[in-house]
Amino acid sequence: MMTIGPVHYLVLGAILFTLGAAGVVLRRNAVVVLMSVELMLNAVNLTFLAFSRFPLVQNAPMQGGILQGHVAVFFVIATAAAEAAVGLAIIIAVFRSRTSINVDEFDSLKF
Amino acid sequence: MRRVDTPGTGGYFPRPQTARLKANDEGIAMDSYLTPYLPILVLLLLAGVMCVAITFFATVLGPRRITNIKEAAFECGSPTTGDPHARHSVKFFLVALLFIVFDVESVFIYPWGALLRDLNGDGLGWFAYFEMMSFMATLAIGLVYVWRKGALEWT
Amino acid sequence: MTFNANDLLGVLPAIILSIGALLLLMSEVFLSTTRAAAQAPASPGERVAQTATAPEISSTQPDRRYQAWLAAGVAALGLWAALSQLGDPAISLFNGAAMSDGFGRVVAATVCGALLISCFVAFGYLEWLRATRGEFYALTLFSAAGMCLLAQATDLIVIFVSLEVMSLALYALCAYLRRGKRPAEAAFKYFILGSFASAIFLYGAALGFGATGSTRLADIAAGVRLAATGGGPGGSAGLLFASVALLTAGFAFKVAAVPFHMWVPDVYDGAPAPVTGFMAAGVKAAAFAVLVRILVSGFGDPSSSIGPHGWQQIIVWLAALTMFFGNLLAVPQRSVKRMLAYSSIAHAGYLLVAVAAMGNAPSRPDATQGLLFYLASYGATVIGAFGVVALIERKFALAGTGDDLSSWAGLSERHPALAAAMSLFMLSLAGVPPTAGFMAKLTVFRSAIEAGLAPLAIFGVLTSVAGLYYYLRVVVYVYMVPEGRADSVPGGRVLSASIALASCALIVLWMGIMPGSFSAMIQSASGSFGR
Repeated sequence: MMTIGPVHYLVLGAILFTLGAAGVVLRRNAVVVLMSVELMLNAVNLTFLAFSRFPLVQNAPMQGGILQGHVAVFFVIATAAAEAAVGLAIIIAVFRSRTSINVDEFDSLKF
Repeated sequence: MRRVDTPGTGGYFPRPQTARLKANDEGIAMDSYLTPYLPILVLLLLAGVMCVAITFFATVLGPRRITNIKEAAFECGSPTTGDPHARHSVKFFLVALLFIVFDVESVFIYPWGALLRDLNGDGLGWFAYFEMMSFMATLAIGLVYVWRKGALEWT
Repeated sequence: MTFNANDLLGVLPAIILSIGALLLLMSEVFLSTTRAAAQAPASPGERVAQTATAPEISSTQPDRRYQAWLAAGVAALGLWAALSQLGDPAISLFNGAAMSDGFGRVVAATVCGALLISCFVAFGYLEWLRATRGEFYALTLFSAAGMCLLAQATDLIVIFVSLEVMSLALYALCAYLRRGKRPAEAAFKYFILGSFASAIFLYGAALGFGATGSTRLADIAAGVRLAATGGGPGGSAGLLFASVALLTAGFAFKVAAVPFHMWVPDVYDGAPAPVTGFMAAGVKAAAFAVLVRILVSGFGDPSSSIGPHGWQQIIVWLAALTMFFGNLLAVPQRSVKRMLAYSSIAHAGYLLVAVAAMGNAPSRPDATQGLLFYLASYGATVIGAFGVVALIERKFALAGTGDDLSSWAGLSERHPALAAAMSLFMLSLAGVPPTAGFMAKLTVFRSAIEAGLAPLAIFGVLTSVAGLYYYLRVVVYVYMVPEGRADSVPGGRVLSASIALASCALIVLWMGIMPGSFSAMIQSASGSFGR
């Protein structure tokens, strides 16, 4: 029986982050690109929580020490929601001006 | 902040690595900290069984008389119109956006509520209170803005 | 953990700006929509614009002109708050989550000043386009609040949240004008790459947190010192290295350093010109401030291998690449707005030279001074330049296209003052004496030589000489190419823009001719990162 340790979470976080980054670069649908960004943020959340749960530093240098990871995740979730809202609004604005959300077609700003 | 989740002390959050791993007769490891959730599992199973049972007995025991009208798609009693795959109105997105923002921002209220008593013990009670009040006032201003802009009207 | 009410005074500029933004939002929605606008006596050009080009005119629009003045007043208040604390000793706020020191105050003052002038530029622009809404000024105030906080933050979580406050408001501002495809597309590109950069920064923050057990920069510095002596937890040196690389990459996006610059031209081109000016000045100031804080306060320990001698190399290469490609890519641009975008990339390179010079402790005070001088002078110059562009662009914004060099031809005949101002700003961007740009480049390169980075300084001088070509081309078009199209500058609503341009020009000349008086003002900031 294998015990799930910090390394598993960290590796999973890294994989999810890479998948998200690849999604941002490769996917064409604007909404999927937005989802990929959110995936990256959630991968970071996983990393933060893994480090809070299995701290490398035994005596956290300041008061509250390891709890900061949880606090960070709260703030990331809240900001990610705001980001998603602004992102969706922008995608709707783009859609209204050209009735497509295919990223490849966004070309009116090329020189 | 007095409650610090440091290793060794147990702390505010139970630590998984200190929880004993017990192997039962079949050799399947079971985390002892999952046992409090057993009643929930039982509840879920019961709910599932109930669903299946009710559907099953209704099908087997109930009489069935098939008519044309019964076979037609049901749209709240009015005649069916349009394509089921029509585009959603942008209003749905707007409501979804507003929901996400207000829903997620309220996530901060829970830890605040849970910790307010401790913070008061640390002499930070009023500070925490006004901090949350100013946060909620900002949210309220956002709500008033959305309201006055007419984003909550479904027309 | 304790709370000190005085901590709120330390972030006073950000508080003033946020409250102002909320006030503006409320005033916008409670504005009576039935009250008819008090029509100002329209100039001939404006009347033509009203009848011929500007769509969606309705006489029942409420008068929203007070909003610009309210926003400008709030910005002035923020500027006053930042300047009034300038000489005070540095204090740590909110248990080390933020810092009120000379460095942060100067950056906050720069941001508030940029906001103040941008409000004047935006007033005429938006009124002419009939696009004044409270949201515009509220969003600029919110983003300025984020910038002020960013300049003072010393905790990675606070940095992330203020970064998002700044960026989210700017994404929305880019899409503010809803005519044509360009603004929305620019906003989308900015949004995607900006949030990508935020995510990269955040991953770096998570790794730094893992290696040191804290998100406070002071604790990270302690962790770096510990790792240097081999006393840290296993693998923390590697984690710290990955962390500083990701944090730097995230901010390289924000400051538009090559190779993370692809979004800049499109975004600067597609956004409304007043927003572009504010973005160029404000985001640069705030992002450089926080980059310096992370690198110097967080990872600045000289005993460590990933300390200055590690990141200094990365920054030196980034600076060299950015200066080279920024100037090179600006050359073929026909649109002045796009040219200014590439020029902004090039200027990020010069600023990175100052950051690299901060890697060596002895040259740190001078490099800090140089960085702040450069940020302020670039801010004044670029807002002025985009202010002129805003006047030219109005017409194109209606048609949904960009500007072209030919629309600048013969500007000196019709608007000699405007032409002179534009030439001054171009000379300052190119770094020609006696302008602010020259003194800024001088102080930065001097600190680089002091830090032993002479080759980088020489490379910087060479690239800025090469940059003269495309800046002077604009001056040539303005003064020497005969007028091609008669209608290149739409008239009307120029008074506020003139005030803004005049103040920018005065600042540029003042900083160029009497740099000593400005340096004396920011003297208290140069010691912010110790010796």
